[in-house]
Amino acid sequence: MEILVENVSQIFGAAPHQVVALDHVTHRFPSQKVTCILGPSGCGKSTLTQIIGGIEPCSAGQITIGDGRAGLGSQSVMMWQSLNLFPWRSVVENVAFGLEVAGVSKAERTEKGKKLLASVGLRGFHDHYPRQLSGGMRQRVALARALILERPILLMDEPFAALDAQTKIVMQEELIRIYEASKQTILFVTHAIDEAILLGDEIVVMTARPGRIKDVITVDLPRPRSQELVGTPEFGKLYKYILHLIREEVQNAMAQEDLAVAAS
Amino acid sequence: MSATITSVRGSPLLQRALPSLIVLGVIVGWEALVELNGLAPIYLPAPSSILRYLWVMLADGSMEYNLGITFLRIMAGFLVAAISGVIVGVVMGMSPLAARIVDPWIAALYPLPKISLIPLLIIWLGTGETYKIFISAISAFFPIVISSYSGIGQVDQGLLKAAKDLGASQVQVQTKIVIPAAMPSIIAGLHLGMGVTVILVVAAEMIGGSSQSGMGYLLVNAGQVMETEKVFASLIVLAVFGAALTYAQRWVDRIIAPWAQGKV
Ligand SMILES: Nc1ncnc2c1ncn2[C@@H]1O[C@H](COP(=O)(O)OP(=O)(O)O)[C@@H](O)[C@H]1O
Ligand SMILES: [Mg+2]
Repeated sequence: MEILVENVSQIFGAAPHQVVALDHVTHRFPSQKVTCILGPSGCGKSTLTQIIGGIEPCSAGQITIGDGRAGLGSQSVMMWQSLNLFPWRSVVENVAFGLEVAGVSKAERTEKGKKLLASVGLRGFHDHYPRQLSGGMRQRVALARALILERPILLMDEPFAALDAQTKIVMQEELIRIYEASKQTILFVTHAIDEAILLGDEIVVMTARPGRIKDVITVDLPRPRSQELVGTPEFGKLYKYILHLIREEVQNAMAQEDLAVAAS
Repeated sequence: MSATITSVRGSPLLQRALPSLIVLGVIVGWEALVELNGLAPIYLPAPSSILRYLWVMLADGSMEYNLGITFLRIMAGFLVAAISGVIVGVVMGMSPLAARIVDPWIAALYPLPKISLIPLLIIWLGTGETYKIFISAISAFFPIVISSYSGIGQVDQGLLKAAKDLGASQVQVQTKIVIPAAMPSIIAGLHLGMGVTVILVVAAEMIGGSSQSGMGYLLVNAGQVMETEKVFASLIVLAVFGAALTYAQRWVDRIIAPWAQGKV
């Protein structure tokens, strides 16, 4: 499902201490593709994703989901950077939460939850509590909790940022497999260039605050993809190009901070 | 130094038995002190004669009767405080208006030592059961309200956003997220409340003795006629009873909030 973002701005706080998190962001996120949103920390990636998901209202601008008839938030679901699993609920109760609040019967939602857990490699863990699981396993629970709603749009806010390198690779391949089977529209926020190239059909590079779109890069690498891609010359070329863009932005961000320190 | 370490390593049994041995040592020393100095039992009875009195009081049923009465009063006061306290705290947490209305009352009444209300309550309610339950309930009410209220205020905003994103309604967010997330604080408040109830019930039995029953009455009565052995026997029973209450409460906690273990 296509997402059209037009002139979206987000301003936090009142006059003297205003933070312009997003400044007239416009982009068409293509249907059934993976778009990675890449940018330095604090540039407004989470803010943009939450606005698109209908979780936060925006100060100005417009979001259109699909043909515009569906309400904001009703077609998408978020996988959070901090996971936000419910610690008092067992794994399967976490996964089935979306069905539970929609009124699906306990037998049905438990069965569906267990099936989904098995498909993300957590067979037999349904009665555990989140704190009893490793970081990677918790990530899978959060992914299953989002997938169970079968919404056409999946929003992912740096979901793998906190994982160790090996687990991250496994989870990335898992996501590629899920996407290539289901072809949802995915917005994937990251600050890692290699992750953006590996996962994305398109990469939206954002500027340092105020967040604007600096460049949009099409990733023409063939699917199905895997980690082997990382060594190829095509990958290297894209990586170098994006690195150059990001380096400019990080330097801008640091210059801004210096100015702010000098002014205070 | 090294000798100490070896001896500790060499006798784990001694190490484990040490606390019990010290208790035993204190009792034997106490007995010896009383016997050798010929202390009058009015001042300090020997452990052996305390035990004898304890046995007599258990055998004639007076101890069980008074303990049972005290227990019923504690339960009545605690239940009144727990139900009203959790309800008021939760309502305050969910409704800022309710919080603004109740806050000044709590600010004014919480610091007041509740025991100072006893004369007034005796004038109003007499010295019967209502007075004892009221004084213990109102004392336990405040810590329970305050813990429940602050627990609800501290619920992780990320969990609320996640639940809404998964489709939970306002009411579902409150019942399925806010209340369980606040459960550890509510439980902590109930523990505080139980401690206060025990103190106030025994104190009320000591001061307003019209019903001539309960552990507080037993203590005061034995004290007035200088039956110091009975005083000690009652204190031992009260201490064991207090410990049993704490364990029972932890057991109930594990049943109603198994995920909250180690947080209280
Ligand atoms: N609720 C908020 N109130 C005030 N400032 C906020 C709020 N949320 C985000 N910001 C600010 O907006 C900017 C963008 O934040 P965010 O979208 O989280 O960045 P990113 O996800 O790219 O790291 C940051 O400077 C952040 O401090
Ligand atoms: Mg972020």
